[in-house]
Amino acid sequence: MERFENLNYYELLEVPVNALPFEIRQAYRNALSIYEEESMISDSFFTDDERNAILRRIEEAFSTLIDKGQRGGYNKELIDAGVIDASLLEKGKPKSKGPIPLFSLKKTGGQESLSARVRNRIERKDFMEVSREILSKSLISGKDLERLRKHVGIAVEEIFEVTRISLKVLTAIESDDVASLPRTFYLKNFLKAYAELFNLDSRKVIDGYLENIAYLKNTK
Amino acid sequence: MTIMAQIYAVGGGKGGSGKSFLTANFGALFARQGHNTVLVDLDLGGSNLHSLLGFRQVKKGLNSYLNKSVSDLSTVAVPTEIPNLHLISSVDCSLEIGNLFYAQKMKIINAIHRLPFDIVLIDLGAGSTYNVLDFFLSAHEGIFVFTPEPTSIQNTVQFIKAIYLRRVKQILKHYAFSNVVKELAGESEADLVRSPLDIVDRVMTKDPDRGKLLEKELRKLVFKLVLNQYRKHIDEELGNKIEKVCNRHFYAGFQFLGNITYDERVHNSVLAKTIFANKYPYTPTSTDLKQTAEMMLKKSGETSSAIGKYGEV
Repeated sequence: MERFENLNYYELLEVPVNALPFEIRQAYRNALSIYEEESMISDSFFTDDERNAILRRIEEAFSTLIDKGQRGGYNKELIDAGVIDASLLEKGKPKSKGPIPLFSLKKTGGQESLSARVRNRIERKDFMEVSREILSKSLISGKDLERLRKHVGIAVEEIFEVTRISLKVLTAIESDDVASLPRTFYLKNFLKAYAELFNLDSRKVIDGYLENIAYLKNTK
Repeated sequence: MTIMAQIYAVGGGKGGSGKSFLTANFGALFARQGHNTVLVDLDLGGSNLHSLLGFRQVKKGLNSYLNKSVSDLSTVAVPTEIPNLHLISSVDCSLEIGNLFYAQKMKIINAIHRLPFDIVLIDLGAGSTYNVLDFFLSAHEGIFVFTPEPTSIQNTVQFIKAIYLRRVKQILKHYAFSNVVKELAGESEADLVRSPLDIVDRVMTKDPDRGKLLEKELRKLVFKLVLNQYRKHIDEELGNKIEKVCNRHFYAGFQFLGNITYDERVHNSVLAKTIFANKYPYTPTSTDLKQTAEMMLKKSGETSSAIGKYGEV
């Protein structure tokens, strides 16, 4: 085994080069449990000076590897020095090591769930103008909601994935199909979920939509 | 026909960590598996292994060999109640046996290597005097016993360091690095050698070729660790962590064999002068003992040379 002083940060924390942040955090905690002052082990092996030097290095390793930018720079150094192979850095399939969360609905280890990806896409998109325009109206129709959705670039099926409102109901809402709409109590909740997904003021949307429905009913 | 026995030394620095207890139980378990086993009580001046095995007194023992009343050490190996298990006691030795002469020490070490048994288990005393260290290094495998207490870990680490230092010095002498040793000995007066690694480092920086040789020799060392009196609330990984630290900070191979669960009834078995693993076979502690004993045998196949120079008889 290499001398302790010569270990690189990955060897020091005993993590693979492509370790995920949580693995690094776990490894850091493990290392501390061996070397920290309260540990039964460290005071038998090391003097205070030695231990402090080791702890400093562990601290250094952790703070470098946990920071994305610093880690990138450090990886570059290692690659340039020929210590590690660049191909190792590519994200391989994360090993199914460690506990699997009990209630996770994720089927694949590394990938984000579909709903999370949809949420991310909505978050990244700037649609303030359209939403402000819709909210400024006193009557909000299903067409308005559909327009907003298409503007953001989300399919109706994706709304279903996130909100779990059935496609039948969603299309009924968007097409102002009064006859197919659910009872008001449920409708309010569905509208609330829809509005919140697009960061709209849900109260305004509900009121505007219900008024529009009432208006449609009266004009019929 | 000469049978080369596999020799294990059980040591660990601190008294009361269960070295004799483990020696007796491992011996009983090996014997039960059909290995012709002998236990050698080399806790000179503090012999009590016979008591754990149900003997009130032992008439012949190591002393008969040392005073030349018998010429072969194997003749003083007395059979115990357990089939296949024998004991060479040192309770018949003089009260001053603790301070063994060098020639006597070598005589014992050589005799042990000629014992016609499958397995020899050496029970060592506490402390890190030269006798203990040399007996430990004369075995094929050294087993460090410690308990999950800071005091025990401290003593064990001290013992490991002492063993390591002794071996470093042996190697340096063997390869006629004596000038280096003298130099270092001179330096160590002023700057006390606390860590044997300092020596290795100094040799490496002063003479890289010899340093490499030293490192290579040290890497041949194989040490085993057993955590005795393990209690539930203690970090399960403690043994593995110590193994890791040892492997990281010494140039040698350490292997953690396992935890032996603490059991109140160990006390009863000692009082009753019976082997725990036989008296209480269906307890967690006995299961641990069995597993650890199996681990000991499993890994021993590869090493055929003694850890120290004394094996090269």
